[in-house]
Amino acid sequence: MTTLLRIQDVYKNFSGTEVLNGVNLEIKSGERHAIIGPNGAGKSTLFNLITGLYKPTRGKIFFGEQDITDWPIRRICRLGLARSFQITNIFPKMTVYENVRNAIVSKVNNRYACLTFLDRNKRIEEQSDQLVSLVNLDSVRNSAAAELSYGMQRQLELGLTLALDPVLVMLDEPTSGFNREDSHKMVTLIKEVTNNRTLLMVEHDMEVVFKLADRITVLSYGRVLASGTPDEIQENEEVRKAYLGKHTYDTKAK
Amino acid sequence: MKRGRMYQWLLAVAIFIFLLLVPRLLPEIKIHLVIEILIFALFAVSFNLAYGYGGLLVFGFGAFFGTGAYAAALAFKFFPALPLLLALSIAALSGLAAAVFIGSLTARLKGAYFSIGTFAFQMFFYAVALKWRSVTNGDDGIGITRPDLYLPGLGQVSMMNTNNLYYFTLIVVSLCIIGTYLFLKTPLGNSMVCVRESESRAAFLGYNVFLTKIITLSTGGFLAGLAGGFFVLFNEFIATNCIDFSMSFTVTLMAVIGGTGHFLGPVLGTVFYVVIQDWLAALTQRWWIVMGSLFIFVVLYMPGGLVSFFQFRKKSLFGRFRGQK
Repeated sequence: MTTLLRIQDVYKNFSGTEVLNGVNLEIKSGERHAIIGPNGAGKSTLFNLITGLYKPTRGKIFFGEQDITDWPIRRICRLGLARSFQITNIFPKMTVYENVRNAIVSKVNNRYACLTFLDRNKRIEEQSDQLVSLVNLDSVRNSAAAELSYGMQRQLELGLTLALDPVLVMLDEPTSGFNREDSHKMVTLIKEVTNNRTLLMVEHDMEVVFKLADRITVLSYGRVLASGTPDEIQENEEVRKAYLGKHTYDTKAK
Repeated sequence: MKRGRMYQWLLAVAIFIFLLLVPRLLPEIKIHLVIEILIFALFAVSFNLAYGYGGLLVFGFGAFFGTGAYAAALAFKFFPALPLLLALSIAALSGLAAAVFIGSLTARLKGAYFSIGTFAFQMFFYAVALKWRSVTNGDDGIGITRPDLYLPGLGQVSMMNTNNLYYFTLIVVSLCIIGTYLFLKTPLGNSMVCVRESESRAAFLGYNVFLTKIITLSTGGFLAGLAGGFFVLFNEFIATNCIDFSMSFTVTLMAVIGGTGHFLGPVLGTVFYVVIQDWLAALTQRWWIVMGSLFIFVVLYMPGGLVSFFQFRKKSLFGRFRGQK
């Protein structure tokens, strides 16, 4: 497997607070990779660095062969790297369909088209409807996004993340705030829609992590504590001490 | 819903016929008032393009209007042979240039900082107009004569004739407002709304937030500049009041009173504002007090603006309210 994303000795310093202290990480093409770690470990910061929201203080980030360290958000996104947010980030006043359509407009490079009407574009309409179905939101297609239930908003968020047909899907706590049942549904959905893609996710729910991930990286105090298969991580003494505790998770529950 | 649509069309046709008949129905002094309404309606629509649709509360919108107005005045004064449409295009493009200039320096600011930033530029433009006397003539202003409009087939159309000026303004302003309405239905218009709704989500979907904002502002600046050009053509005079902060304030007031959530809200607001002002100014010099109170009233009790009142009425009139709110 080839390396899709390479994080090379990345430091991030927020006005004196060292959040990341030399993180090295490789995401292989096609794998489902989870980043776990206690609060404040720097997981979300790492996400924000990869997607271009922050710039690292030191170090480089490569996507394939490209050095994307100093690229603006939109360029990184167009390269095939999409993310969801921990706090739902959708277009609240627009309908589900319109939300998704905004993403499709971007995908087919129609963002600056001003000589055609958006409503009349069959290609965009078709692709938008497909995406609405993909994340199981057909029943609320024409409801305003703000009026959806929390779970549905998360599904919409996932839909927006997938809309640009990304190579690497990055999910920031996709099941946070869910009860067990909804969480289970979300995991099934994520599995389904990330087939043939690379997944990088931050997640606190260990059950979800062990169900989804092929590889796990443990982040603690801005450093990579361990990285390996779910079984290796389970066995790792240091990780147990720092994070997992004594509970054993079923890694076979797939 | 269908019935509501039909009433809307009937209303639109009625208004259109009224506008066509204005020169026959109203005395000359009132035609002037309607011309003023048309010009400010275009200005208010351009403001709302940026604020209502693009989410950009530009406190200095008068700078675009004023720049267009000064550009038109200078064109009329120094190049009297310039075709009228070309002079007005120069006005519109100057408004656009002002918007690109101010926008590129302020569009990265957030919220109130952006609004205040544009306001600072508004004051800067005003200071230039006031102090650069060799060009702008400062407070004394520039007087111009209306050039004729040359139309292929019709020949020279004199703009000194109020009816001609009225129809010319009506046609151009209507085309611009309809054009803006259609523009908002294009993917680019949609991109503007995306940026308003969530900048970060738009960026993470591949939208260029900054560029989109600049496009929003420059489209608004273009229309505002054109409105400014018409204002000079109409008044045959320009002074610093065209570019001072009260212009920005007026347009904000018009749009908010009318309702920024609806495309035609600002137009309604303009009609209301100009008519009330005309009426009040005849009664008292302190008409700003009434306008200010009105503004406060609308902000506090009618956040949707006057247009929401109409929507409410329409709903209840057409029986969509089934007896309860």
